[in-house]
Amino acid sequence: MSFEGLPIGTAAKKRSFREKLYFPEILRGLGVTIRHLLHNILHTADMPTMQYPEEKRVYSDRFRGRHRLMKREDGSPRCVACQMCSTACPADCIDIVAAEHPDPSIEKYPATFDIDLLRCVYCGLCEEACPCDAIRMDTGIYEIAADKRSSFLVDKEFLLNNTTDGTL
Amino acid sequence: MAKLTIDDQEFEFPDGTSLFDACREARGEALPHFCYHPDLPVAGVCRLCQVEVEGMPKLTIACNTGVRDGMVVRTRSEKVTQAVQQILEMHLINHPVDCPICDQAGECGLQDQYMDFGLYESKVEMAAKVNKRKVKVIGPQVILDQERCVLCSRCVRFCQEVTGTGELGIFNRGDRAELDVAPGVELDNNYSLNTVDICPVGALTSRDFRFAKRVWMLKSARGVCPGCATGCNVRIDHEGGRVFRLKPLRNPQVNGSWMCDRGRMTYKAVHDERRLLQPVRDGKDLTWAEASGALAGMLQGRSPALVVIGPHASLEEMYLARDLADPAAVVSGPHDLDRGSGDDILLDGDRSPNRKGLASLGITELGAADLAARVGAAGGPVLVLGGDPGRDKTVAGALAQCANLIAIATHDGPTVQAAALALPGAAWAEKAGTFVNRQGRWQGFAQAVARPGAVRDVWRILAEIQALAHDGSGPQSLRAVRQDLVTSVLSEGELDMDRMPEQGYVPGGGEQ
Repeated sequence: MSFEGLPIGTAAKKRSFREKLYFPEILRGLGVTIRHLLHNILHTADMPTMQYPEEKRVYSDRFRGRHRLMKREDGSPRCVACQMCSTACPADCIDIVAAEHPDPSIEKYPATFDIDLLRCVYCGLCEEACPCDAIRMDTGIYEIAADKRSSFLVDKEFLLNNTTDGTL
Repeated sequence: MAKLTIDDQEFEFPDGTSLFDACREARGEALPHFCYHPDLPVAGVCRLCQVEVEGMPKLTIACNTGVRDGMVVRTRSEKVTQAVQQILEMHLINHPVDCPICDQAGECGLQDQYMDFGLYESKVEMAAKVNKRKVKVIGPQVILDQERCVLCSRCVRFCQEVTGTGELGIFNRGDRAELDVAPGVELDNNYSLNTVDICPVGALTSRDFRFAKRVWMLKSARGVCPGCATGCNVRIDHEGGRVFRLKPLRNPQVNGSWMCDRGRMTYKAVHDERRLLQPVRDGKDLTWAEASGALAGMLQGRSPALVVIGPHASLEEMYLARDLADPAAVVSGPHDLDRGSGDDILLDGDRSPNRKGLASLGITELGAADLAARVGAAGGPVLVLGGDPGRDKTVAGALAQCANLIAIATHDGPTVQAAALALPGAAWAEKAGTFVNRQGRWQGFAQAVARPGAVRDVWRILAEIQALAHDGSGPQSLRAVRQDLVTSVLSEGELDMDRMPEQGYVPGGGEQ
């Protein structure tokens, strides 16, 4: 791109008398606004505004929402605390403490499984890394709100029984 | 000497060199292997280190073949790669592939070889695999998983050849062959965790480290075990300010590839509850500013009347502390001489890492009665560091009578209890330094983890005392201390302590 011929500095454009009066120009601008207002009132269906939260956008089935932990048939977590997810996590938001499971065929389970939702970037690498399909982001929950920072640190119990309404 | 060709290049090796070692040198990396170990007798059971030798009808294993003049060896030919891949497939037939729950994952021979040579789909259904015992506790330190075992017999050979205890064996045949302890026996010797180190897969894992951390998250620093006078070279594996385990580093001159279980547990002292984390005066925690004031008040511009240096201090600290006072007023005590007996493998009866350091700096070691008398007669501030002489009852009595006792300590104990001012010094994994082992070998160690609380590096505390006592400035860096130390004890420029040779340094020659 060449900058030749472009004005240097911010020298003001010469204004005509009509522009110097201001009022005709203000009225012209208001005219544009009123034209759009009337158009929207008469053609509400064309309006791009969405009536959130009454109306919600439909996302793809593959949308990555808040995580959940899957359960075995007996209700215990499917996770074996291999920490592949926390290794893959670029935001370092998963913290797992492993412990010995009494059943030698399971052997290892997560004593704690914490996710810091404020740190999470919802990239889905944890899902992808999981060898046991134990963590999923298929809840579709994206409305995540709370009044305390500490509420965003969710634990194993929460992730196993993830509620769908987005409250923490 | 034998002249041979390895992968189209000519090499010369002394007669008697094994082809495995020759190939390692020629290729710059070892051949794939499970059962070969430099400090164990050759077994030749894993069959992975196959190479092609011209004139031999079939492939041969390198670990059990000696170099011969005129040999032409190929290690990367298609025939070799194919053989390794097929043997690896055999090893994996009944392997449970439970890497997610296996502590070895990340430092596993099977994983490494598979990434290099395998990369095939398994032909065996999970349901068709032969199941064996998992999570079998076979001793106070070790857990066995028979399914993961590749029957390389390293651990069996270790228990036969190194400890001579023979607890482990391989029982049954074919795909039912399994590693186990002999009936009615536990793997309970002071070297049992070495079997975990040499296990190339996750069959033997440490109970202490079990599930504590995935190994790829650990960072490592070079260390020297502080558990006894042998000074085994160790790798300090740590993460987030915490030491998780010690692993031996190979040093043929000192510890071979091994270290004892006692030594491995020495890391626990670093995170012990009894750690001194704040300067303490009369049972009250102080800030360092207050502690410095108290120190100045006690010294009043004089040197300490007596400096008692223990054999747990690093050589650098000993050197600084020695020069704080008149040579006659610098002594050591009977630290840790009654803490058990040694064995003829590695463990020494002297459970302190740096007693030879005291000798190399000419610091006199006194008996309990003599030390108690000297403390009693000091008549001024007494500085104690590098150990807890108060463990001895006689010395403890004398220390309790001493009004101006300054202790630089890592842990709470009798000396800290008796001290008028206790200063928290860095423990072994929290500082860099040098230990002189029982052979007189200087071995450097690096700082692994950050110092907790208000703990300070001991050389800094000593530098401050020096500045207070001699009304000047102490040394500004550990490097400066080390340069002075080398100049004073060895000859100038003889040794760069920041770049210590890997096998350590024995002053005055001898066996390096």
